[in-house]
Amino acid sequence: MRAWLVIAFLFVATGAFADVSVVASVDRNHIAFGESVTLTVAVQGTQSGTQPSIPRVDALSFDGPSTQSSFSLNNGHMSQSVSFVYRVTPARTGEFTIPAITVNVGGQSYSTEPIQLVVGKGAAQNDASQMLFARAQIPSQQLYLGQTEPVAVLVFVRADVPFRGLSGFSEEADGLGFKYLQNLKQGTQVINGESFNVGVIEGSISPERTGTLNFGPCILKAQLTVQKRGGSSGWPFDDSMFDQMFGRTQVREVPVTVDAVPVEVLPLPEEGRPTDFGGAVGQWKLDVTAKPTDIAVGDPITLTIKVSGNGNIDTVPMPKLGSLDGFKTYDPTTKTTKDELNTTGERVMQQVLIAKSTDVKELPEVRLAYFDPEARAYKTAVQSPIKLVVKAGTGGQTTIVSGGERLRPDEKLGQDIVYLKGDLGPAVPGAPFCGTVTFWALNVTPVLALLGTVGWKRRTDRLRGDVAYARRTRAAKKARRLLTSATSYDEIQRVLQHYLGDRLNIPVGGITASIIDEQLVPRGVNGELADRARACFAACDTARFAGGEADMSVQATRDNVGRLIDELETKQL
Amino acid sequence: MNWKRNSYKIGVVIWLVGLCRAFAGPSDDFKSANQLYDTGKFAEAAAVYEKIEPKTAHVYYNLGNAHFREGKLGLAILDYERARRLAPRDPDIMANLKFAEQRLGVDDVNAPPRAWQRFLRSIIESRSPNEWGMYELAALWLAALAVGVCIYIPRLRTVLLGIAAAAFVGFAASVFALGHEVLGDRTAPAAVVVAAETEARFAPVPDSTTHFKLIEGTRVVIREDRGHWLFVERADGQQGWVRSDTVERVVPQS
Repeated sequence: MRAWLVIAFLFVATGAFADVSVVASVDRNHIAFGESVTLTVAVQGTQSGTQPSIPRVDALSFDGPSTQSSFSLNNGHMSQSVSFVYRVTPARTGEFTIPAITVNVGGQSYSTEPIQLVVGKGAAQNDASQMLFARAQIPSQQLYLGQTEPVAVLVFVRADVPFRGLSGFSEEADGLGFKYLQNLKQGTQVINGESFNVGVIEGSISPERTGTLNFGPCILKAQLTVQKRGGSSGWPFDDSMFDQMFGRTQVREVPVTVDAVPVEVLPLPEEGRPTDFGGAVGQWKLDVTAKPTDIAVGDPITLTIKVSGNGNIDTVPMPKLGSLDGFKTYDPTTKTTKDELNTTGERVMQQVLIAKSTDVKELPEVRLAYFDPEARAYKTAVQSPIKLVVKAGTGGQTTIVSGGERLRPDEKLGQDIVYLKGDLGPAVPGAPFCGTVTFWALNVTPVLALLGTVGWKRRTDRLRGDVAYARRTRAAKKARRLLTSATSYDEIQRVLQHYLGDRLNIPVGGITASIIDEQLVPRGVNGELADRARACFAACDTARFAGGEADMSVQATRDNVGRLIDELETKQL
Repeated sequence: MNWKRNSYKIGVVIWLVGLCRAFAGPSDDFKSANQLYDTGKFAEAAAVYEKIEPKTAHVYYNLGNAHFREGKLGLAILDYERARRLAPRDPDIMANLKFAEQRLGVDDVNAPPRAWQRFLRSIIESRSPNEWGMYELAALWLAALAVGVCIYIPRLRTVLLGIAAAAFVGFAASVFALGHEVLGDRTAPAAVVVAAETEARFAPVPDSTTHFKLIEGTRVVIREDRGHWLFVERADGQQGWVRSDTVERVVPQS
């Protein structure tokens, strides 16, 4: 099996480039403006062809490619191919030639035949050409090297055609240093009595070499709302609120071309060029200030030179200063600001100067030579010398400041360990406090106290709110207290009644010996303890009602009741 | 002379004399050591400081100064560390400790690598263990008192529970700091490298591979003690075995 796979692979590999051909074709050679054709570059005999490079064709845009591969084995005959499919959209009417397209297959180049394409004015073309067009505006088509000139690319769309914006913009402006703003400005304009919506791409060019250079061609893709094919009204630009509402319209990208505009770029003239010219081109203004102007020797003066105006600020060098022999100078700092298109700008240079002596009377003249392209001549902006009043420094005599350094050098403090302590200091505790019994006792005490407090609070709350609990809890204590002062059988019986009433949470009044069988025996009090309880009741009843001497004395009865209470306290009733 | 009437006076005099004698020894030694230091006899001064018992923070501090002047900066750092433990907020001790560490170039080695670790250590070391213990007790009592009062005065519940919560946070922080100091001393006692340079090895045998070098004055913690060898860890987490005579514990072994 494996051998067959190897043989098959070798068969495929050896035959991969055996019979390769490349063919380019379009689905239609004649189309109306606004339509697109499908260009297919098919590579037969292999699937390994690299993506072809499509040559640039004026006013034709190529979108894609999408790739399609096929492979089939029929009666032992293998066929395979790969196709690169492009969508070609013309930007104008006319005849076009799609030149030979080269495809590299296995290191070998294959070329297709050129294809002719005719774009006529279709039924819709007449409308489209009147409704959508573009043009470039350049104020001057003769520029100087280094000059910055604003340009604008305008897209006109008839006012009744919904214009949504631009989806693409490509341009050719080699050597012109073209820059443009991404934000599209929109407005309206009336041409020959017809109202148009206008989209404006603002930009600027700044030629980088001399000669005749072309601005453009530019291809823009305008997004227009058109009715879907098959609609009731005419294609493509009918607009209807109902069409939009019911989805019978679609946004279509319609390409529009701006023809190339030639620009002649001239070199800067040699004639009249100042010796101190540094390359500045534009219209520049010089503004020089110095602060302070009333100083003492050694005081710094801040010289501020501001150059501002129209043109490329990047071409403006540092203005020339006259002799600064009387000053100690420091390196200047520069800050440059400019607009996005580099058509206006400002450069501020600041330099610190220190007068060395009282002989200094003024700051030197400042000059900036530049070429004014509008005047087509060199000019020089000049700032006259600024007067200074320089007084003597400290000490009432002229002081020469050497190197602009501080007269008193920075003080360097010595460093060393701090001196000895003069006394023994606080005594050292004999043993660490932590870990001692006292420490742990002090830790445990608040916890226990808190737990006790909580428990006490719960108990008092229960005693206050739970009568049965309160009576049961206090029964024995109260009975013992009463029993100690009881001197008669009557009082002893009352103590017993109170005790049992409190323990069982029942009214005291009706308690007799029968309660033993009714309440105590069912709760587990029986046998000898129940008999003793009955005996206590019987002794008291005998003494009270028979009027005679009971079997037990008062003392003995009291002791019996006391023991009875003690034993009943051990029972859960 | 009525001995009975004057016996209490005699007793007071005897007690005062005894007290003076008790304090005369360390104080005199301390002064004489300071005089030796002032005359440039640093080794002799250090020897006298060493004899003073019990050693207060000031004794350790002056001993550290004497060692510093002798050029024994590792010992000086050890003494300042011991002094700092007894008086954690003494600015002179802190200044000299920092200066000695900078002089040896171990100030960055001794500092924990992360900012939060340095911050935590500075907080914990700003109080002695006894102070943290007192804070812990105070916070615990306050929390218990606030909860206890809250039980009986419910209308102050919000305020008292707030106080209790704050006190409990303080209690927890104090317990953490206390545990760090006390347990740290027990489980991983701090030590200082006093040898000029020592090698931390991968195993407690003389010819094992050197892992890294410890320079004098480096603070370490002892993870394991095997008599002649100690397994130590530097502030940056590096660990290795060193000979026990090259480091000194900050809290001397009793």
